[in-house]
Amino acid sequence: MKLEVLPWIILFLPLLAATVITLFTLRCRTTSALISIGAIVTGFILTIAFIGANGFHPAVSETAVNWLSIGGLQIDFGLKLDALSLMMLLIVTGVGGAIHIYSFGYMHEDKGMARFFAFMSLFTFSMLGVVLANNFLMMFIFWELVGVSSYLLIGFWFEKPSAGDAAKKAFITNRLGDFGFLLGILAVWAFLGSLNFSALQDRIIEHKNSANTIGFFLTRFPLGDFSFDMNMTIIGLLLFCGAVGKSAQFPLHVWLPDAMEGPTPVSALIHAATMVAAGVYMLCRVLFLLNADALHVIAYIGGFTALLAALIAVQQNDIKRILAYSTLSQLGYMVMAVGLSGPTPAMFHLTTHAFFKALLFLGAGSVIHGLHEEQDIWKMGGLKKKMPVTFWTFIIGTLALSGVPPFSGFYSKDSILAQALNTKNYLLFAVAVFVAALTTFYMFRLFFVAFLGEARTEKAKHAHESPKVMTLPLIALAVFAVIGGFIGITNNYGSQFFVEHEPLSVAQQALEPLHNIFPMLLGISAVAVGLFAAFTLYKNAATDPLPAKLGGLATAMKNRFYFDELYEATVIRAHDFIAAVADWIDRWIIEGACIGLVRGGTDLTGRALRLAQTGNLQTYAFLFVLGVALLLYFVLGK
Amino acid sequence: MNASLISLEISVIGLGLVLMLADFFVPAERRRFIGYAAIAALGVLLVAGLSGNGSCSQFGTAFNGMFVNDALSLFFKRFFIVAAILVLFMAAEFSDRLAAGSIAEYYSLIVFALAGMLFAASSNDFTMLFVSIELITITFYVLVSFQRGKLQSLEAGVKYLILGALSSAFMVFGIALIWGTTGKLNFTELAAVAPQFADSKIFLLGVLFVLVGLGFKIAMFPFQIWAPDVYQGAPTPTTAFLAVGSKAAGFVLLLRVLFTAVPSVTHNWANLLIIISGITILYGNLCAIPQRNLKRLLGYSSIAHAGYLLLGVAALSASGQAAVLYYLAGYLFTVMAAFMVIALVLRHLATEDISGLAGLSQRSPLLAATMTIAMVSLAGIPPLAGFFGKFLLLKSVIETAQVTGNHGYYCLAFTALAGVIISLYYYFGVVRAIYWSKSATDLSPIELSAPAKVSIWVCIAGMFWLGLFPNMVLNFANEAAKVLGK
Repeated sequence: MKLEVLPWIILFLPLLAATVITLFTLRCRTTSALISIGAIVTGFILTIAFIGANGFHPAVSETAVNWLSIGGLQIDFGLKLDALSLMMLLIVTGVGGAIHIYSFGYMHEDKGMARFFAFMSLFTFSMLGVVLANNFLMMFIFWELVGVSSYLLIGFWFEKPSAGDAAKKAFITNRLGDFGFLLGILAVWAFLGSLNFSALQDRIIEHKNSANTIGFFLTRFPLGDFSFDMNMTIIGLLLFCGAVGKSAQFPLHVWLPDAMEGPTPVSALIHAATMVAAGVYMLCRVLFLLNADALHVIAYIGGFTALLAALIAVQQNDIKRILAYSTLSQLGYMVMAVGLSGPTPAMFHLTTHAFFKALLFLGAGSVIHGLHEEQDIWKMGGLKKKMPVTFWTFIIGTLALSGVPPFSGFYSKDSILAQALNTKNYLLFAVAVFVAALTTFYMFRLFFVAFLGEARTEKAKHAHESPKVMTLPLIALAVFAVIGGFIGITNNYGSQFFVEHEPLSVAQQALEPLHNIFPMLLGISAVAVGLFAAFTLYKNAATDPLPAKLGGLATAMKNRFYFDELYEATVIRAHDFIAAVADWIDRWIIEGACIGLVRGGTDLTGRALRLAQTGNLQTYAFLFVLGVALLLYFVLGK
Repeated sequence: MNASLISLEISVIGLGLVLMLADFFVPAERRRFIGYAAIAALGVLLVAGLSGNGSCSQFGTAFNGMFVNDALSLFFKRFFIVAAILVLFMAAEFSDRLAAGSIAEYYSLIVFALAGMLFAASSNDFTMLFVSIELITITFYVLVSFQRGKLQSLEAGVKYLILGALSSAFMVFGIALIWGTTGKLNFTELAAVAPQFADSKIFLLGVLFVLVGLGFKIAMFPFQIWAPDVYQGAPTPTTAFLAVGSKAAGFVLLLRVLFTAVPSVTHNWANLLIIISGITILYGNLCAIPQRNLKRLLGYSSIAHAGYLLLGVAALSASGQAAVLYYLAGYLFTVMAAFMVIALVLRHLATEDISGLAGLSQRSPLLAATMTIAMVSLAGIPPLAGFFGKFLLLKSVIETAQVTGNHGYYCLAFTALAGVIISLYYYFGVVRAIYWSKSATDLSPIELSAPAKVSIWVCIAGMFWLGLFPNMVLNFANEAAKVLGK
């Protein structure tokens, strides 16, 4: 068997699992779960085997079959295998595998467990498709599939109206971004004449090298007679729309917190570790298409989202929502890093974030599980002794997210700070440092209130540790949250984006932040400030002291700066009005006048023609001869 | 003369005689099984005689060029034998509704009609054309009125007889006029002299009258009027054979006359063919809308399909002719499947109403699925045979429109699409009756005999095969169409 077959197997195993579960084993809960877990764990092992045999830069970097060709457009169904996609493959199957195993414990009481695992496998398939796609069309198809499976999983408890609403909100908001993405893809095809990533990259390089800057592209661009750069800016921004939707950047960030209505493992897998990272991944994949202007916009949107979400997180009380806003904020970091021409720091942070945020979500799930579906941190407290494994792993996650050395988050965040400083964008650098302080503050607020102090409610007093099947994935993820900073992740990404990249040893990686001492010191002091503030305010606090001190600002933070209300009053109201008009037109003009007339007319003609069919033989013979006469007239009468 | 060229026809006629004689030796209650012997015999002929280098598949002409064996006749001979086999399966299931013991006679008549169709496939001369068509039609007079105890069957037989005689009269008159003006009856010879007579009204009248006769066989407008009544009244296997075999025989003769014998005339008649095709499609589909009787519905649907098939004829191109052949192949399996289900389900019911299908999804999921697939294929929805056939027909029409610049072809393609949309309504009415009818009273399961199951699976396989893997049959069809010239 050739090694190129492996990625295909890795891709299609989860689809096979989802199909088998849906068609055959929906009634066998445990079997379904094992099939789904088996598919993703096998995928993880095969990925390691493939990388072990080929390294991160396989000789055959693309394997494709011709899928369809229409006219000049030829679409491959192909897989791209390089450091970027292989690292993502490891994350999706590895972190995803841990979460699958954890779900086996978390969902054990749920009646729909088989359905849950079918959806999870469908999601895994879709996500792997996004990661492995070698062209835009295939990526878009899987991109939408990811959206569908996310919809299914957010709305998993569809009997709860809030879950149904959240699922719809997530899907529709994503579609808004995807519309831009689709336009971007169409523009790429019209302007550059290909959808294949490698071919596109070649064309861009060819264009840069050629003296003729106008080139052959311009005549085919549909939007107008702009310069090459202007076209590329438009394309870049349209493509970025897709990332804004999937990675929940401002102004489409509103769906992600609501998506927490889904089961907690879903939040960990989809809305922390993998799907929301797809936007960042996509930007890195097509980085060569983004020019300076587009990157500029991307950087500021990312920075703004990071700040906005961190501010909101400070005043949330639901444990999952705090983590959701934290995810938004960290995604903002990554997008900002891409915008600052730093794909390596962005992907580095994406990877470490996958470890520690999945860990935090699973820890939160464990807490919720132990407290019988309690999510309000002010109704927790004193969990340290009752849930030791959850406690210790959660603190590791918190330290990593806050960026305390030597945890993984410290390294990845530091590389982003350094990138901001090196590109001399001091505004975004300041924002990033401030957000780092806020991050530490809200995370330790959560930690102090939920885990330390006295138990505030009966539920918290009777909390119990989760079963092994849930705690073991926590430990595994915790290990990576600790050591993720210096196990060679940057080496792999670096080799993807810079040809002359020299791999660093473990010790060099561990000491890497010392090369940029100023951002490192600022980062650490931000952490210290945040930690100190959280400690003074929330150590042994019974209620939240902050609203009294901040007044109106705290209320605004608590209410998420009224974004949902703003959209409700403007976008949704306008949309409802247009929908009402369209409904009226459809009902009365199209359905009533057009279709009604056509249908009635057809029906009437049919009934009238039937009258000719009298059953009388003489009439038939007469009509027959009349027909002959008609033909005669037509052919010979002229 | 090479007598081995007609060995297939001789064998089939021999088989018919044997079946007739078997009547004397086999007791009445076991005569039903004679049919399976006939199926086996035809199966042997199909495999041994008509496979790639079979003994009956060599090409050549006989009887001074009256009889021709070529790729086109080979295609249709295979087609007719498959059709006859499926009809015999159906007839075996139908035997309990015929007069006691008369089933052997019914089998032999089917085989004789098949012999007529085989001769029609090889006709290269107007004499041959007339004789073969009469052999088919006269056999069908008997087949249609075979349920002698049933008034409807007799009525259908009489109508078919009188209108058939009328059309034959026109045809033989037309042949006489052609012979009188040109002195030729052989298609090939006629083709050489026909251009000289392009302006002779007598000659054109002759060709037109032949067209009338053939138009009657294929139920094209304005000679379609008999189809619903006869389809409704005839025994179901007869109806199936009429819809598939007789229609295909009409088409092979039509193709030979129009494109081998008088191509120069045909090319002047493009607009006539366009109009006839369009009206036939609309007439069949519109009249089917209010129908509640299943066989009558399929009668109108068969008119509509004659219209679709005429699209390929009107295209006046090799790809159009190939599309006709391909469409007929798909039509064979689809119509046979539908009539098989009708024969089996409505066995014990007095009516043939669509409502008789109510609850079929519970009574027999296989039959319900078969009928649904057949309706979907007739409507032309992928991935079934009907879709690919319609696609080829429309493609050929559009191609011709682009080549000739005749806007009539665009109108025709549009009409065909409108017809397809209308047809969705009544085809899915049948599907709705199967799955969503609330008035189901009888929910007893339907027992299927093993041969019935075999024939149903053959039909289903045929519909999917032609829809998904069109290459093989399409190659045959393309080969056959080359024979015709332009």
